[in-house]
Amino acid sequence: MGLPDASGDLSSEMEVDAFRRLFPLRFYERHLAESIRPDGRPLGRARDTTIALGAVTSADGSALAKIGSTTMLAAVKMEVMTPSMESPDEGCIAIDFHMPPICSPIVRPGRPAEAAPVVSKQLSDTISSGKAAWMAYLDIYCLDADGALFDAALLSAVAALFHLQIPAVSLNDDGKIVVSEEDGGKLEKEPVNKEKRKLTLRSIPFSLTCILHKNYILADPTSEEEAIMETLVTVVLDSSSQLISLYKPGGAVLAYTSAVQDCIALTRQRVRELQKILDEANSGMEVD
Amino acid sequence: MEYVNPEGLRLDGRRPMEMRQIRAEIGAVAKADGSAVFEMGNTKVIAAVYGPREVQNRSQQISDKALVRCEYSMANFSTGDRMRKPKGDRRSTEISLVIRQTMEACIMTHLMPRSQIDIFVQVLQADGGTRSACINAATLALADAGIPLRDLVTSCSAGYLNSTPLLDLNYVEDSAGGPDVTVGFLPKLDKVTLLQMDSKLSIDLFENVMQLAIEGCKAVANYIREILLENTKQLEYRRGL
Repeated sequence: MGLPDASGDLSSEMEVDAFRRLFPLRFYERHLAESIRPDGRPLGRARDTTIALGAVTSADGSALAKIGSTTMLAAVKMEVMTPSMESPDEGCIAIDFHMPPICSPIVRPGRPAEAAPVVSKQLSDTISSGKAAWMAYLDIYCLDADGALFDAALLSAVAALFHLQIPAVSLNDDGKIVVSEEDGGKLEKEPVNKEKRKLTLRSIPFSLTCILHKNYILADPTSEEEAIMETLVTVVLDSSSQLISLYKPGGAVLAYTSAVQDCIALTRQRVRELQKILDEANSGMEVD
Repeated sequence: MEYVNPEGLRLDGRRPMEMRQIRAEIGAVAKADGSAVFEMGNTKVIAAVYGPREVQNRSQQISDKALVRCEYSMANFSTGDRMRKPKGDRRSTEISLVIRQTMEACIMTHLMPRSQIDIFVQVLQADGGTRSACINAATLALADAGIPLRDLVTSCSAGYLNSTPLLDLNYVEDSAGGPDVTVGFLPKLDKVTLLQMDSKLSIDLFENVMQLAIEGCKAVANYIREILLENTKQLEYRRGL
């Protein structure tokens, strides 16, 4: 690939790969000047996204979400618990985000990744509790970390909750709730809820992470882009286009409100795409 | 409880000498040097290999061999009841050690001195035989990473219930309290690297059960070989050969 010789330095004689490693910022800026990124995407486009519901059969609800190479597996397990005094009608949800060492060469065993507790906290703030006195444990495992971790994690969490079917339970003689057997035979006790029911979700949050660099806005960064240009903005909107959360943790670039509004506009578009993908995945499941 | 009914069928409808269905896929984790997903029935395991790379802890560096590290962990949702402590508990530490020693025996570590090879195995769904699935997945991941191996290591388990030797136990059969023999086998060299058994079994029966497990290992080895050949063909097509 012939690089335009801007300053008569080493860059014109080097191979593309070496240039990418040694001068990553200049490599990217050359691309941004043409409004394109090294993987061929225009600046506002996100990577190909897929959702697969029901990836883990032993869990009550599960989903595998992939944005480009970033892969997240989320699973929900329900347990019965006694509700607290202040809110006897509410259950609760515990969200745990794990980054096992398989996902990335920079995660060392025995030391959790720096990103993991941050993403955990962001997810807890975004997702609200369900109904009845159930305890839902939502575990999200990152299987491949290639940028935009929060987006993929939120998408897989939402898809897993979408897929969740609360198991049928009945009250046994000791006054305890037990999960009914599914053998189709006679049930001695009257089940409390007759069949498995799906969770009713009020509104579904979707998110998009953007990188700000000088006056460019790049949507859905890969890990290489995140490492070079550090200013991230994450916008979470729900399906009725209301703003749920906006997160900009510092960074070298100071954003004017116009930049933030551009990010929100990109997110709105992304929400429509994600909503469609989630609906397709869901209807794909029901056909079986 | 009856694990083998009078017609000779087990709880999941298999015959005593029948393995569960195996499925493997190479290259699941894009960021890793080598990775593989391995399924044996409902047990699903993902393995990733990083290496050979620079040793992270200088004091552990070995001057004439590569350092092999292994970590086994189970996802919180992998078993029937949610697990509280998925790694760092005694079972995970023991299995990590077992997998490390098994793989170390077949990696040609003397070719990569002063470097480190990391094998990470994550159990996504557990239904008995996780140890074997992890070893099989690790072998595929090492082959995908291009690390020189003396031979493939394949593993399978066998047990003895209701006076019948059974191949490839699932969780229900494993928790029945009968013996469980896990074998790690090198098919080309025809050698056993891993042999573990719990519970009690008489010597002559043990011979039978171990042979059964070795037959299972050979079947897994054939499948793994097919998968690797298929993968190589794909790589050739992509390079235009």
